[in-house]
Amino acid sequence: MGAFYVRRQLIPAAIATLFVLAIQLVVFSGFRFADVVIMFVWLWPVAMGIAGYTMLSLIVGLVAGVFFDLHSVTPFGLTAAIGMLLGYATSRLGREGVGDLDSAAWWVAPVIAAGAGFVAPLGYTIGGFFALDFQLWRGSVLAMMVVNASAFFIMARPVVRVARAIGRLGEGAIR
Amino acid sequence: MSGGIVANLRRVANVVVAPFSWTVSAVARPIGHLFAGAVNYSDVVAQNQKLRYELGVAEQHANQAWSLERQAQQLTTQLNVPFIGALSSVAAQVTSLSPTNFSATITISKGRKQGVLVGMPVVANGGLVGIVISSGANASTVQLITDVNSSIGATFGNGSATLIISGNGLNNGLGVTSVPLNDNVAPGTVFSTDGLNGALYPPGLPIATVTKATLTPGAATFDLTLKPTADLRNLTYVDVLLWEPST
Repeated sequence: MGAFYVRRQLIPAAIATLFVLAIQLVVFSGFRFADVVIMFVWLWPVAMGIAGYTMLSLIVGLVAGVFFDLHSVTPFGLTAAIGMLLGYATSRLGREGVGDLDSAAWWVAPVIAAGAGFVAPLGYTIGGFFALDFQLWRGSVLAMMVVNASAFFIMARPVVRVARAIGRLGEGAIR
Repeated sequence: MSGGIVANLRRVANVVVAPFSWTVSAVARPIGHLFAGAVNYSDVVAQNQKLRYELGVAEQHANQAWSLERQAQQLTTQLNVPFIGALSSVAAQVTSLSPTNFSATITISKGRKQGVLVGMPVVANGGLVGIVISSGANASTVQLITDVNSSIGATFGNGSATLIISGNGLNNGLGVTSVPLNDNVAPGTVFSTDGLNGALYPPGLPIATVTKATLTPGAATFDLTLKPTADLRNLTYVDVLLWEPST
């Protein structure tokens, strides 16, 4: 086995992820826009991916998703799976510098996040079939897609800044 | 993954997340109250005056109802008829709503220590609200009747016909499909739990009212759209009926 080492990024990322989860449960799950819950736990790995951190986006997507699933009665692991997929997909763009807040146009990162927010509820519903839950489509999936896309568009830039700050904390420790 | 392992993981997750949730809540709540107070002050004053009036009327009715209830209890004792009002209940406060749109649940402030067990029905606002699906020491999760996985055996009228009411998702109401035409169901008909042998609910709990009856295209049946009797959008306090299914 190779040597085990701890990236300095993981601890602040983990703490930030737990705060993201707390914000989701306390603020966003109680506040509903058009009867839709804004899934902040999906925006967080998307933001980490846009900032260009593939491994971090996967880890925060997994941690946030698992803890969120433990607070709900929906198929366990599905939120985490969607979060990780979104994080990985956006990190492919982030690594190319597409979502760089300083050099790219101001709307690029929000549009990428909005796209992820639009696709996520649909992906969750389709993923439910693989989890043998065939009823998820009976909610207002289209409303969820539109509201989450809009919310992610608005919140993308500040959340990506936070993600980038956390990612840079441990860049010096990477081997 | 077995139910026991997941339950333990849920407990650990709650312990880990709790301090973060407390911190966020401590910051967010005063801000939310400030905005709510500034926006809603006049509404709150008007509501307070209206509630004072209604409280007075309710106290008057309560006094009248007391004597009627005594008479009814005497009658049911003589007739040996199951009476829903005789069921014990535990009042609980709703502490949180479903964290996601893909499930319709609430969390309440009572659990096993207060006698709340999985499978117990929950009522509020004059009707059936849901059923307890998980019960911790001091908190429980209630699946609302509008949840997509909710199915309730129901009856109406003289109780000769029984149907299954299904949830259509959070805030999407309830539905019944393939209702025979000869059942003569019209908008305004009230459905209540049938309480048949092995049912998940005791008999006589009001569930919903028919709002629309649509003839199924190409078939000799109705599809019904129902509105829950209980106001599920304004759940603050609920009653958990200390009743368990026979199976």
